[in-house]
Amino acid sequence: MLRTVTPSPLKNAVRVPQLLTSFGRKNCRERQPMSTSASQDEMKHFGELAPSWWDFWGPQRILHKMNLKRMDFIQKTLQKEYQAGSGTYVPGFNHQAFLPKQVSTAIEQELEQDIRGQLHSQKLQVLDVGCGGGILAECLARLPFVANVKGIDLTPECIEIAQSHASKDPILNGKLSYEVQALEEVEGVYDLVTCLEMLEHVDHPGEILRHAWKKLKVGGILMVSTINRDPVSWFTTIFMAEQVLKLVPRGTHHASKYINSEEIIEWFQDECKGQHQILNCKGVMYVPLNGWIEHDHSGVGNYFMAIKKTA
Amino acid sequence: MRSARLFKSRWILSRALASSVLPKKTDIFIVGGGPAGLTLAAAIRTSPHLSGLNTTLVDAGDLKKTAQFYKNPPEGYSNRVISLTTQSKKFLEQRVGVQLLQDRLQAFDGLYVSDGCTDAQLELEKNSMGFMIEILNIQSSLLDRLSKLQAPTLNLIDQTKVLNIEYVDPADPQSWLKVSLSNGEVFETRLLVGCDGFNSPVRKFSKIESRGWFYNRFGVVANLKLDFPPFKVRGWQRFLPTGPIAHLPMPDDHATLVWSTTEPLSRLLLSIEPQQLTLLINAAFVLDDVDMQYYYKQLEQGTITTEELQEDIAHRTESKYAKLEDDSLIDEIYPPIVSEVEGSSRARFPLKLSHADSYITDRIALVGDAAHTTHPLAGQGLNLGQGDVESLVKALETASQRGLDLGSVLALEPYWAERYPYNNMLLGVVDKLHKIYSTDFGPIVAARSMGLKVLQRLQPIKNFMIQSVSGKVK
Repeated sequence: MLRTVTPSPLKNAVRVPQLLTSFGRKNCRERQPMSTSASQDEMKHFGELAPSWWDFWGPQRILHKMNLKRMDFIQKTLQKEYQAGSGTYVPGFNHQAFLPKQVSTAIEQELEQDIRGQLHSQKLQVLDVGCGGGILAECLARLPFVANVKGIDLTPECIEIAQSHASKDPILNGKLSYEVQALEEVEGVYDLVTCLEMLEHVDHPGEILRHAWKKLKVGGILMVSTINRDPVSWFTTIFMAEQVLKLVPRGTHHASKYINSEEIIEWFQDECKGQHQILNCKGVMYVPLNGWIEHDHSGVGNYFMAIKKTA
Repeated sequence: MRSARLFKSRWILSRALASSVLPKKTDIFIVGGGPAGLTLAAAIRTSPHLSGLNTTLVDAGDLKKTAQFYKNPPEGYSNRVISLTTQSKKFLEQRVGVQLLQDRLQAFDGLYVSDGCTDAQLELEKNSMGFMIEILNIQSSLLDRLSKLQAPTLNLIDQTKVLNIEYVDPADPQSWLKVSLSNGEVFETRLLVGCDGFNSPVRKFSKIESRGWFYNRFGVVANLKLDFPPFKVRGWQRFLPTGPIAHLPMPDDHATLVWSTTEPLSRLLLSIEPQQLTLLINAAFVLDDVDMQYYYKQLEQGTITTEELQEDIAHRTESKYAKLEDDSLIDEIYPPIVSEVEGSSRARFPLKLSHADSYITDRIALVGDAAHTTHPLAGQGLNLGQGDVESLVKALETASQRGLDLGSVLALEPYWAERYPYNNMLLGVVDKLHKIYSTDFGPIVAARSMGLKVLQRLQPIKNFMIQSVSGKVK
């Protein structure tokens, strides 16, 4: 029902002319809205949440738990990009069914080691758009194959929290930087750009996708995750999560801002024809007492998507 | 003169301060070099995801002396013998790559459990159901493995105590932990793992509540020598109203005793002549409880000589044997005769149940006896610790692939979530077994004997029990 009534937020994207190239950090609050900015309401909401961002038992617990699955998804997607080298034996049959367990485990371990070796020789540059308190950015920065992560967000309170939290872990030293910045102001190109749990909080998600795509190197990967605009999502993310179980702070979500996974796929077909490849798309669902689980119905509820820039 | 002295003392003070304000950073700090702590260190070192982590292990004892056991094993056996499940052994050998001293451990092919008040019995049979092994064998094999790994990222510190633990930022319980040692070193750690036993200082610091009770029973252990090597290598256990007595095989004609009993009786068993204890052990598996109570009383009062005891036990045992349908049953239902108890190997320890409310908090994980202790009647104590290590390492591997801070509760939660229910179930079952068998109250004796007799005839349930004892059920 929601699907038919509410128009896609991707469609109402308006082109705002490029404004000034640089903004001072101090006046970022009063500056004019850019095409990729969030509304004042959203910024106020997340500013209020900032102090409890890193309390694992606090209002962001469910996001911390979701982050575990996001990292699994990112790992899996990146690993799939590599193929076993010529020195590694790849059985052309179902080795688990036909070979003794010890042999098949050894084969799997060797394969995994090969792919891990290739991945770990990478030094990826990562941009985390809408980093909030840095839940994702910190985890990405700790990965051995990530050279550095830049996290940007429009809520200064969140960036402050993110910076102070990152300073407590020496492993993040020099690998992670944060800035209060709009996406279009970011310079340089990246191997991995992430827009996780943020498209549903902005007014013009199409603009975010457009600029995120621009910041991507050819061969780079864009990770997107948001929520389908359907009754199931309204029931789980707003009615149950915010109102009944109070797992998520009230006012976090607005069903009209949700974006269907097909709409994103459609958007890429329209805007980036022949330049992209959808690598992976998975639905995720929160099961009380069990945590987040991944499933194959990416058209229902929350979902993760990985898109590669091929040209 | 005075000012010079003042100056000098100030200089010393500032030097002392200067050396103490340089804490070393480490990712994982393990307190305790027992089987759990050493297995954890070795499992971290051999994990493809964790081997790069900076790991520090501290132990109050002399680990170099423990390591000597591997190179120059003594002739006799140590009295600290435990049963290792197939699952634990597999983890140690295949996953951690430990080579145990094979000639010092004994596989057993079953358990013969009987009721001390009735003739109910339960026979569990399975080849290599478990392994009897000295704790020193496990520890020294692990130390050998660690020395062969030659890890620059692993720091083993022995003969050193933990003096103080505090959060680097006392106002922030998510900040790293500062651990001060008795050798003057100070470490700042991402994760502190308490493998420091029942009185765990780490658990006390963590403020995690541990609940439980003393059973008011003591476990008496001793090394036994048998008349001849047993033809059927299995463990024997008899539930006496004072507690279970177990007779477990070691290589050749050796065996080990675990006799759980009341406090006064445990003192008696330790103080009587080794020869008298030998007689009592043999009698305890055959005679009725009234007979045993009579001997305890006579021995306590000193009104019976060793010869009289021997004669009386021989007489009563003969009359028990005479009631059997067939002489060949003697070897079937009674354990091999003990010929000698090694007097100096006798020791006792209090039995208790304890279970921590949680195994984790910010920057802290508890493993093994620091998190739980159990009655030895099922031989699971050390194995629960090994299971904890396996689970914790798995959680840390997942967390490191997810880029999590390994000391955060998010990283540690899967460990606790996996182990707590399993350990709680096992602790509960063992506790109930202890309770239903520590009475000679008629109706309960009848009910438990009937239960045991029914079990003896239900092979599927027996198979399940065998699996549980060998640690295959999770």
